[in-house]
Amino acid sequence: MNKFAKIPLMMLGGGASVFAVLFTIYFFNLDMKFMSYCVEPILLKIYDMRKPNFYV
Amino acid sequence: MKTAEIVYNTKKKKGDKQYGVLFNNGKVRKRREWRGIKDTLYDFSRWLYLWSIMIGVTLSRGGMKGMIRYRWMANYLAVPHAIDKFTIGMRDETLRITHTAMDFVVKDVALCIKDTLRGDRRTGNDVEFSNKCVLSDENAMTVFMMGFPQIKAILREIPTMFSANIMTQYSSTYYLDIAQQFGIPGDVCPMPEAEAGASICDDFAVLGKCAVQVNTTCDGSLMGNGIIAKRLEREYGIPTFQLAAPMRHENPDVLDYAAEDMKKCIAWVEEKMGVKWDWDTYFECIKRVNQTTRDRWEWLEVNATQYPQFFGAVFSLYNDTNYMGNCGRSKDFPPINDKIMKLVRQGYKNKTMMAPEYRHRCIVWGVQPQYCIDQLYWMVNCWGVVPLTDMLSMVVEKEFCEENKPENYEQAYKDMAYLNMNMIMRNKTHGGYECLVDELWEFVERLNADMVMMWEHMSCKALNGLHGQFEEQARERGIHLVWVCHDLCDPRVFTRQAIRDQFSEYMRTVMREEPLDPTLEFMPDENAW
Repeated sequence: MNKFAKIPLMMLGGGASVFAVLFTIYFFNLDMKFMSYCVEPILLKIYDMRKPNFYV
Repeated sequence: MKTAEIVYNTKKKKGDKQYGVLFNNGKVRKRREWRGIKDTLYDFSRWLYLWSIMIGVTLSRGGMKGMIRYRWMANYLAVPHAIDKFTIGMRDETLRITHTAMDFVVKDVALCIKDTLRGDRRTGNDVEFSNKCVLSDENAMTVFMMGFPQIKAILREIPTMFSANIMTQYSSTYYLDIAQQFGIPGDVCPMPEAEAGASICDDFAVLGKCAVQVNTTCDGSLMGNGIIAKRLEREYGIPTFQLAAPMRHENPDVLDYAAEDMKKCIAWVEEKMGVKWDWDTYFECIKRVNQTTRDRWEWLEVNATQYPQFFGAVFSLYNDTNYMGNCGRSKDFPPINDKIMKLVRQGYKNKTMMAPEYRHRCIVWGVQPQYCIDQLYWMVNCWGVVPLTDMLSMVVEKEFCEENKPENYEQAYKDMAYLNMNMIMRNKTHGGYECLVDELWEFVERLNADMVMMWEHMSCKALNGLHGQFEEQARERGIHLVWVCHDLCDPRVFTRQAIRDQFSEYMRTVMREEPLDPTLEFMPDENAW
């Protein structure tokens, strides 16, 4: 097969792989699992480290 | 007792039919809902859109710095999780209506966060932009900004407290603890108390040339505003105007006073910001407000039929955003309204339903926590009780003067004052017995309801005195009245399950009914976002 004919096929394959990965993340809620168990605890530690500037 | 005719869903529901199984006592769901191929792919496309917005905000000026500086920003990690709770069990048109409305609400809040962090002295620090901003009270119709196209209204309490609480149920607890540590009693409404807490620990973004506060909605709000204004003026040098809306807004005598105060507020903003009020822009905005009112009443007319389409927490949230945060100022809202209208009409024609059957038609009344608690869609899916509308969505019925003529300007000030006095969270809770109790029964008739769910916010003093009257009158009218106690954004007082239990108990003991989806009756979501 010539080189140019392969490009649409490669694009289709690439698109399908991206879709498969994103759909897996979406369906198994991996984005929220990552945010809640990995990102949020780190952020909370950062916030706790900051000394609040209290004012009333 | 009044009874509603049971409506059965003739369409076979594709995908998952039990939703309680998606929870496992963790912070998030085990997996997302399977809605059949077409609807799942549609939901997937909206998920991608949400992430594009979230990434956009993080990469904007001050976005990353803001994420690290402000505790409330962490709540926005949960945006997709929050949208999932609003779309539980939805298919076809109802799913599309909810996503169309929520996409826009999310976009609106994202823009608010982006602007807040851009002008914030600690993060984006865009001084030129900050000097074009007026900090506007979250608990207000932004009417006083309707004639100022050159400057921006920034409602910084929205991202800090209100919408943060839609994302995660524990978003306010840190700020509540701070406020109580400083001597504010625990029985104050947690909403203004959390805002006061955010100000005390310096967790509000600081921007703007001046600020306008409004005495809505209650004594708690006044208390919170005092603390916030003190810090704004004395520490950050941001002058603050107090726009005082009369409490007895049903009384026509108060309108002149309220209109005078509105004039003073507008003149004050002109002076501080160095800009002129533009009547052309005002009348353009008020036309959009009128269209919003017409559209909302058409959606409610559909909800009065056997096949309601646009209802629940998203209906309320969309109205909140449309009236309060926007108040006709955005040109983007009318096309969204049109899109929703098309879907509502199509859904009604196709007899689209959210649950296998609708057993009861319910009006939701009282100070409501349904944004942070998934109660309304839970009621439909678990018990087949349709929340046709809620108190906050019954905001205004009348239309306002649209013709730009100098002789109409006095009337326009009165219209602005009327809108301000009838702000969403006060037009029923304040103003006396007629608008809170009598109007409820009027809406029960108009929407053919057989049930009322009364939210009893235990820290809200506005409604507690009328408990007995509601009970007595519901009994006289043969309406089922279900009291559900909560403490708004403090889930440590009433957990989600404790709130659901009160409703389930009524359904089992009084109505003698069994749930449509038993997995939803006891859901392990206490630790969930």
